[in-house]
Amino acid sequence: MLRRTARRDRFIGLFVLGAILFNPPILNLFGGTVFGWPALFVYLFGAWALIIAAVALLSRTGRAADDEQAPR
Amino acid sequence: MSQQLILGVAIAYLLVLFAIAWLVERRGGAPRLTGSSLVYTLSLAVYCSSWTFNGGVGRAALNGFDFLPIYLGPTLAFCLGPIVIRRMLRISKANRITSIADLIGARFGRSAGLAALVTVIAVIGLVPYIALQLRSIAQGYATLSATSSVPGSQPLQLDSALWAAAILTVFAMLFGSRSIHPGEHHPGMVVAIAAESILKLLSLTIIGVFVVYGLFHGFGDLFGRAASAPEIAPTFAQAPDRYGFSWIAMTVLAMLAAFCLPRQFQVMVVENVDERHLDRAIWQFPLYLLLINLFVLPIALAGRLLLPGTDNPDNFVLALPLLGQRPIISLIAFLGGVSAAASMVVVETTALSIMVCNDVVMPALLRVKSLGLSERSDLTRLLLWVRRAAMVVVMVLGYLYMRHDSSEVALVSIGLMSFVAVAQFAPALLGGLFWRGATKAGAIAGISLGFLVWCYTLLIPSFTHEPLVAAFITRGPFGIGLLRPYGLFGLVGLDPVTHATFWSLLANIGALLGVSMLERQRPVDRAHAALFVDADNPSDAAQSWRRTALIPDLNSLASRFLGRARTEAAFASWARERGLDPATAIRADAETVLFYERLLASAIGAASARVLVGAIVEEEPLGVEEVMRILDETSRVIEANQRLEDKSRALEAASAELKQVNARLTELDRLKDDFVATVNHELRTPLASIRAFSEILRDHPRLSDAERLEFLAIIIAESERLTRLIGQLLHLSKIEASGAIPAQRALVDLAAVVRESSAAMRQVFAGANVSLDVDIADAEAQVMGDHDRLVQVLINLLGNAVKFSPRRGGRAELSVRRYGAEVELAVADNGPGIPPADRTVVFDRFRQLGDSMGERPEGVGLGLAISQKIVEQHGGRIWVEEAEGGGAVFKIRLEAARVAEPA
Repeated sequence: MLRRTARRDRFIGLFVLGAILFNPPILNLFGGTVFGWPALFVYLFGAWALIIAAVALLSRTGRAADDEQAPR
Repeated sequence: MSQQLILGVAIAYLLVLFAIAWLVERRGGAPRLTGSSLVYTLSLAVYCSSWTFNGGVGRAALNGFDFLPIYLGPTLAFCLGPIVIRRMLRISKANRITSIADLIGARFGRSAGLAALVTVIAVIGLVPYIALQLRSIAQGYATLSATSSVPGSQPLQLDSALWAAAILTVFAMLFGSRSIHPGEHHPGMVVAIAAESILKLLSLTIIGVFVVYGLFHGFGDLFGRAASAPEIAPTFAQAPDRYGFSWIAMTVLAMLAAFCLPRQFQVMVVENVDERHLDRAIWQFPLYLLLINLFVLPIALAGRLLLPGTDNPDNFVLALPLLGQRPIISLIAFLGGVSAAASMVVVETTALSIMVCNDVVMPALLRVKSLGLSERSDLTRLLLWVRRAAMVVVMVLGYLYMRHDSSEVALVSIGLMSFVAVAQFAPALLGGLFWRGATKAGAIAGISLGFLVWCYTLLIPSFTHEPLVAAFITRGPFGIGLLRPYGLFGLVGLDPVTHATFWSLLANIGALLGVSMLERQRPVDRAHAALFVDADNPSDAAQSWRRTALIPDLNSLASRFLGRARTEAAFASWARERGLDPATAIRADAETVLFYERLLASAIGAASARVLVGAIVEEEPLGVEEVMRILDETSRVIEANQRLEDKSRALEAASAELKQVNARLTELDRLKDDFVATVNHELRTPLASIRAFSEILRDHPRLSDAERLEFLAIIIAESERLTRLIGQLLHLSKIEASGAIPAQRALVDLAAVVRESSAAMRQVFAGANVSLDVDIADAEAQVMGDHDRLVQVLINLLGNAVKFSPRRGGRAELSVRRYGAEVELAVADNGPGIPPADRTVVFDRFRQLGDSMGERPEGVGLGLAISQKIVEQHGGRIWVEEAEGGGAVFKIRLEAARVAEPA
């Protein structure tokens, strides 16, 4: 269980990380192919999945804290 | 494939969807379905319109990965979901917000004007987007039925886009405006959309799998062949500037669109039934986006490899299965596209119609007094027809735009135009939710300026086949090159969407910040802003307005829009919550008024509700009286505080008094001990000498007569002393026991008292060689009291005077004088006087000053105590002062008797 502000900060952190990973100029570092697959394809979907997994993980840790608050 | 079959399958599919919706609504919203976070997540996927389905592939075929920012943006937006979206949910629920226009209007003082502005922009901005859906369906139909692929080129009655528009309008009406729901919940529509979302995903996955494994031998084969194709390979090569501002702009647009698009707001905020669904949706929705996009690039690559030279890559999804001789898969693809388009159109038009109805038409109609709408008893039918009309208007605009728009523009570009338009809401919305200083004027300035820039840089230039517009694009208005719509102020090198995004958002945010900062916020606006910005607890919303109204009025007003049963049920639960008795409560307090306003807002929007409730409510925006009352309360508090302080001061004084009393008690206790000791001593001394001399007389019979007489004289003297002592003690206790009432009350002539006492003492004075002057200044002085006792007091005092006067040259004076209503008796001597510290204690029993004077004086030490008692019994007071020539003067003041007063 995380404190609310800590959890909030982590979501903001993920947002910033995602904004950096999903955008140029980082994107432009990937070209060519990896094992025959386009490197950018692998990178983008990989980073995307990573961010989604992190959000899922974070939302799970936070839910306990939220459930404790009385249902509105 | 035959046109009838395609049409039949599409309509059958839509009917199935409608059946789902109808069943859900008939079963009271099917709480198990609508209460599930999965349905919520899937309904969010209405984001993926036919643009995803067909346009994404087209864009991927042209530009490579360019289609992805549209889905990465929402992923980023949902990273902030627990902060931004949750706040939107809470505020919207608390204020019964029905659309994004409602929310923005509500934030800025429930401004009907602002809400109407947002609505108008949304309708205009989304027309291209709806046109896109129509065209996509028409193109798909054309591809499948192998007719002309250019929509709008056929006569009207054969134009499939028109038919699609008509059918979708009917469905939108069936889904979105069957009845008025409180809170604008459409559970049936939500479940149907969720079902459509599953179909979209399945359909695109089936095509993807078919393309990758049916037309190619897996991903490796497909990517390998693409990499070796000379015209495709460069797409994947590394280049430092392949993706630049355009990518970033699209990410930003998509991020904002994820909650600014009216249909997204509708499913995400308005249709949300449980805030906790968001916890799952923030990762499940991005996951859905990822999955649906997984096959987009492979399909696009396959299309480019297998269908080179196709003029419209948007149709790859349909064309590839046809190429593989799989019409069934083609049909699934077509259904997927129809599904995506239908869900988008249904939700978007529903959202837009709610906005148009609640934020433009109804407030306007209600303001027109001559229509008498506010007196009509049932307005639900009117509301529904307004909504249906709004849907028709939106669809007609979409269709007209589609026919006029250049058919060469790809689907994605048209969609992005709408994204830029709705992104104009974001600064006011986010600013309003997180920045207290955002003002209504700032929001209006920002939104309108952004919208104007959008019109100038995107909407007007999109009518490229008008010759005037073409000239306008290339040369600028009136030939002013700096104002060219695609190169405003000389900003060239960006694609039109990025260019428009930059300028419109710059103007929008700049105006919002600038105007808000320059304007002075009124206190009521600041209070309003605080309600939204600090809104995690909006229950005290009623406090900034003190409004009151009659509950029956409010009730009948609400029933007109919601129906009697719903209104009464809602009020009953409110009354229960508030502890009101619904049968007897007549006058609504501010919070109850707010409850009704929100209840109404849930059906007709905040702006309309405000107008309606405002008509029957007596609003008091904290007038002077109110302020005075508050001040009064404050001063009362201050007063109470002061009283408390007074009390505590009194307590302190009392406790100080108590301390004093306690000290006095301790002193008295000590005095009592002294008294007992003294009495003991005083009584024993004479007794001892009497006993001693008596024993001598008994035991020595041969004593001389002279001796015997001497001893007997001593015995007699000691006996007398003892008698005197006992007499005085008895006297004192008698006086004390008799309390404050003198034994006798009669007129006493003080002159006589003075004469009598001085006469009695004359011998004593003569014997002690002390002169006594008697000064009777007021011969008439009379008091009420006991003559004999007063004589006793004076004798006592005179006796003291004798005792303490010096042996030689002793002088005493007894006087009686009148001081106003009082008579003063004074006995002065010229003895050593009494030190100030002892002037009160001399009146205590057995307190003899002789101790300090070396010699123990005659007497038992009760005289002054007895005198004081007597004087007190006469209602007077006795004290001692320093006499004029040294020595002491005892003064007695008594109240003069009335009869003695000169007439």
